[in-house]
Amino acid sequence: MLEMESSLELTNSLAASSLPPPRSRIFKIIVIGDSGVGKTCLTYRFCAGRFPDKTEATIGVDFREKIIEIDGEKIKVQLWDTAGQERFRKSMVQHYYRNVHAVVFVYDVTNPTSFQNLPSWIEECRQHSLGSEVPRLLVGNKCDLRESVRVSTDQVQKFADSQSMPLFETSAKNPDDNDHVEAIFMTLAHKLKSQKPLMLSQPAGGENSVQLKPEQKLPGICWC
Amino acid sequence: MKRVNKHYNVTGNGNIKKPQGEQESRKKQKLVEIHQALNSDPVDIETLRRAAVSEGGLLTDEIRRKVWPKLLSVNVYDLPAKPGKDARQDHKDFNQVVLDVRRSMRRFPKGMRDDQRGVLQEQLIDIILFILKRNPQLHYYQGYHDIVVTFLLVVGERMAIAMVETLSTHHLRDFMDPTMDSTKHILNYLMPILEQVDPELHDFMQRAEVGTIFALSWLITWYGHVLSDFRHVLRLYDFFLASHPLMAIYFAAVIVLHREKEVKRCDCDMPSIHQLLSQIPQNLPYEELISKAEELLKHYPPTLLEKRAAIQPRKSLTISSFQDFQRARLQQRPDAVLRRQLQERPPAELAAVEDAAAAETSHLVKMAVWGISATLGAAALAVAQTALEWAPEFLLQLF
Repeated sequence: MLEMESSLELTNSLAASSLPPPRSRIFKIIVIGDSGVGKTCLTYRFCAGRFPDKTEATIGVDFREKIIEIDGEKIKVQLWDTAGQERFRKSMVQHYYRNVHAVVFVYDVTNPTSFQNLPSWIEECRQHSLGSEVPRLLVGNKCDLRESVRVSTDQVQKFADSQSMPLFETSAKNPDDNDHVEAIFMTLAHKLKSQKPLMLSQPAGGENSVQLKPEQKLPGICWC
Repeated sequence: MKRVNKHYNVTGNGNIKKPQGEQESRKKQKLVEIHQALNSDPVDIETLRRAAVSEGGLLTDEIRRKVWPKLLSVNVYDLPAKPGKDARQDHKDFNQVVLDVRRSMRRFPKGMRDDQRGVLQEQLIDIILFILKRNPQLHYYQGYHDIVVTFLLVVGERMAIAMVETLSTHHLRDFMDPTMDSTKHILNYLMPILEQVDPELHDFMQRAEVGTIFALSWLITWYGHVLSDFRHVLRLYDFFLASHPLMAIYFAAVIVLHREKEVKRCDCDMPSIHQLLSQIPQNLPYEELISKAEELLKHYPPTLLEKRAAIQPRKSLTISSFQDFQRARLQQRPDAVLRRQLQERPPAELAAVEDAAAAETSHLVKMAVWGISATLGAAALAVAQTALEWAPEFLLQLF
């Protein structure tokens, strides 16, 4: 009770002074991956709460924002969406790699090439000073296309572990997974806020690894 | 006592609006000038250029079908054959092209039936891959499809191939390098232009480190990617086809200058300004901006900017190819002559041309084209015939 009163006093005294309202913290997260894996759909899904029906090729770079609240603090999650074609990433990237808080690598579970290209994307990031010290996570999209899945969870899990990245498999489209897309970014935001590492593990993943996943998830099962 | 004149509209604050009659007569005058320019021998390109730049641009799609080829030195009686089935095979960019075209629904007239749009999208893929195959030095970029679709919707498949191929080896050449370095070089003209006109705005944007990526899609799609009204896209294509190949970046500068107050009200950081500018207003005063862009290019040509802004010299194929391009297009014969030359070709060749033209007149293709013409309001039958590339004698009836 006492604590609350003092904080109220503090708020009042702040209001009485001519300080501008404190700005929300911004978490700048970039989303990268091959053309067509669903970067735009994922970011849109998180920010607008629904699947966009007529997305076009993203040319250059742009971002979508959502203000979330964690422990009473309003935080702006800024998701930077990028062009997937290789020529764009090689030349235009400096601008969106700057001051990045986290990187989300996206591949398409129905497109093995998009998974095979991940090392290039990761290397690209590393060259722009976004190595393993920056929180990075791996998202496999389009889980709803059950019949067409061609990248096995086991395969990706091994890769993710080797890179010390938590893995999520999701679908920006399937309404049943709405919470899921939200959960991914919310969890990331939580971790960023508390500045806890996403994974406490040796690169080879071992008993020490603390995975960034809710308790319910069983390994090898897609969340769709 | 208010004077009422039935020919004039007086607005609330007493200003007189330009009478309908005056606008109409200016349009008629422009039509006459264009007609005369097209029928001169050689074709009067300078008049056509001025018509494309001046108020209203080329006015209708019917006129565009006649003038655009001339601005690009394309002989409509000597068009490439329709792409065959092998156009798509084994091309390294096939997947990317298909992906982009499948997502380009927004570029087609609203209300067009799915199957009709599907036909046009298939043509779009064919055109792109055909040009890339014929020109291995050219590399596909996301956004190229936005340029091609604009031409497809106005002039049909074969004319689109001829025109886009010329554009690709000239105006768009730098964008089609293996890397984006040459594209970045053109984007680098933007800040120096702003600096000449509004140093305060320029400094604000430099401090924010906003860069020029917000204008990337504008430049490489000639605004096709970002404008929702197709009429506006066509107006700009008239302008750019008649101008120096860097005009698109000058137009980007005038858009930024137009929004100068809004930009300066932003927080001085990259995300704020980038996002503001990336969202292009749909109600821009196009005629005013076009005039301004013309003025800017005249007063601050690329050579001047290069000196003043110490832009690193770099071989630009887009710029270096422009002089020859301009020279070549001054030597075109009018269509009446080209038509005659076609008819004088050996009978076997003529038959081949007719066969190729008659090949794809399926009902679905016809309906797709009717879909365009109905929505764009063009003269329906004329559009249908031209876009279907029917045998030359049908073309003759139009001109």
